[in-house]
Amino acid sequence: MNVLVTGAAGYLGRHIIAATLKRGHRVRALIRPSTWIDEARWGGAVEVFRADLRAPGALTPAFDQVDVLLHIAARVDGSESAQMADTVVGTERLLEAMAKSATRRIVLASSLSVYGWTAIRGTLTEDSPLETDLYRRDCYAIAKTWQERVVRRMCQEHDWALTVLRPGFIWGRDRAYPAGIGQKLGRWHLVFGPWSRPPMTHVENCADCFAEAMENPRAVGHTFNVVDGHDISSWRYLGEYFRRTGAAGHRIPVPYHMALAGATLAEWINRWLCQGRARLPGLLIPCRLQARFKPLRFSTRKLDEVLGWRPPLDFAHCLQRTYTASAAQQCCTSATPEQVQQVQECLTSSQSRT
Amino acid sequence: MKAVLIGAGQIAQQHIACLRSLTGVALVGVCDLSRGVAESTADRFGVGAWFTDHLAMLAEARPDVVHVTTPPPSHFRLAMDALAAGAHVIVEKPISTVPTEVSTLLHAASERRRVLIEDYNYLFNPPVERIRDLERSGDLGEVVNVEVAISVDIVAQGSPFVDRDLAHPCLSLPGGAIADFLPHLASLAHSFVGPHRTVRTHWQKRLGDSPLPYDEFRAVVAAEHGTAYLSFSSHARPEIFWIQVDGTRMRAAADLFDPYLVVNRLDGGPRPIALLRDRLRQARHVRLASWHNFLHKLAGGPGAYQGLWTLLARTYEALQSGVEPPISARQIAEVNNLVAALTAQENRF
Repeated sequence: MNVLVTGAAGYLGRHIIAATLKRGHRVRALIRPSTWIDEARWGGAVEVFRADLRAPGALTPAFDQVDVLLHIAARVDGSESAQMADTVVGTERLLEAMAKSATRRIVLASSLSVYGWTAIRGTLTEDSPLETDLYRRDCYAIAKTWQERVVRRMCQEHDWALTVLRPGFIWGRDRAYPAGIGQKLGRWHLVFGPWSRPPMTHVENCADCFAEAMENPRAVGHTFNVVDGHDISSWRYLGEYFRRTGAAGHRIPVPYHMALAGATLAEWINRWLCQGRARLPGLLIPCRLQARFKPLRFSTRKLDEVLGWRPPLDFAHCLQRTYTASAAQQCCTSATPEQVQQVQECLTSSQSRT
Repeated sequence: MKAVLIGAGQIAQQHIACLRSLTGVALVGVCDLSRGVAESTADRFGVGAWFTDHLAMLAEARPDVVHVTTPPPSHFRLAMDALAAGAHVIVEKPISTVPTEVSTLLHAASERRRVLIEDYNYLFNPPVERIRDLERSGDLGEVVNVEVAISVDIVAQGSPFVDRDLAHPCLSLPGGAIADFLPHLASLAHSFVGPHRTVRTHWQKRLGDSPLPYDEFRAVVAAEHGTAYLSFSSHARPEIFWIQVDGTRMRAAADLFDPYLVVNRLDGGPRPIALLRDRLRQARHVRLASWHNFLHKLAGGPGAYQGLWTLLARTYEALQSGVEPPISARQIAEVNNLVAALTAQENRF
């Protein structure tokens, strides 16, 4: 297949390109004009298309001969208006260009942040309710929710085949400390709900899931949560981080319900004294604290049942890929044909172990 | 009164928040080129209708007041359309960068007996209003000079002004990104020393590797009632919005980003004692203002946009009661003349 990947220079995007190449597809990477990228890393296997999603009119040629769009691009920082401009307006511009093309298949990278974490009890699944009190959540959740709405509406209007993937906290090499495992305060690292199992997905597993969803026709029309389901606690994730990086620091366990009680008290005081206008840090806003640390269970069942997909890397291999420098790791971000072959061998051997 | 808003970006949220606090004002429509942004803004603030076509909104909502909060190059056309639809118009600064367009707008508003407001929000910030009170009461004496200095890091990584992938709309203005700040400098100077007579400017590009044509600006203005020194810096730290008004009886100075006002005057008595009293009084004001600002930030609220809230509240009061609006057509014309002079090539050192 001919695949157009947005957000191709980003963390997940780079790995998705490697996973897509590995499966033998042809990739066109959509990258901002000012973003420097070593195109030689792909050994000529990737066509780079330079454009900014926010620029109207520049995107139509990107869809030439494209069979499927992997829409990964989104802004993860900045003000709400900046995130809306990049993530939502950028998506609108992209899909307006797609509407002028023959491309009819899209796989969207959404996020677990779109769920209504306050209302969910027990296990978070694809059927769990979405956030209803959206504007109390952070800018990222607001922008990703609207991005998903925009994509679903456009797909409905144009009768496109859509698959939505909602990854959890993505971790891996160069990103071993995602937001879901703790809060760093100098040398101290607060671990909220130390025995909870955060919804982690290793970037290589996540990328493989995107590649599978892209080429598996059974994925059309479905939404999937992407987590590894390794049943590893936050405490252990952080412990591995300290042990394997040699970073100095101390883990401080904070019972989740104590943290939630503190945030609830802060919110009550805010309403009482400031009519709810005080700008509190996210950890003192209950719904934001819950979206990061609520001790729910996360099921991988739908991915398994519908696609027959399981994460190719087990936890031990994820740790190895994250913390050990090797040619096998490098090739996931800079896949020359020889390296792609190495990755295939790595993954095949690890799949056989899992 | 029925209000609508065109352009749902960052500053629009301040307009909407203020409108929601005003009695007798209903925001009945919001328009943005992006369907998602328009719809999410309407959803978030409970606005009845959203549009992606401003002409459709004007025809359907039939508003009394239109707020134009889009990027500057579109202000003129949208304001003209709003006036043609019979609405009063509140436009973000700069209302236009072409002097003939400003006069066209003012003429159109006058012809249709509609109010046209350009957002000079910092004129209405509490410290500036306090300085004006001191001037009116005679405590300040006659204004000799006003200094207005803005320091904002517009060249920082992540600043929309230096986005290399999508040129900021202000880069098309004469003077580039700094032109976005000139109406603040000009309106404050104008309010204390009146219309300008002569202007000399210095524009500089200090950071070579930047899409901005200039990142530093200085100007000396000779005006009807005194002089003004205006400056914008992308590099001076800390970031500040400083105004100092020198009168024949006292100096009054204020920071408008982190608002506080200090007054420098010598009362009667021996000079050493008067100086001591003055410095202790200044220290007390700064200390109290610092605590006040800190608590104010914790408690939320409009912050540096307090002046916008006051301007909008007074504009709607004026529209409802039929009195003079807080910003006059003459003021808009004179401030824009000064802005044009500040960007003119012939006025450069």
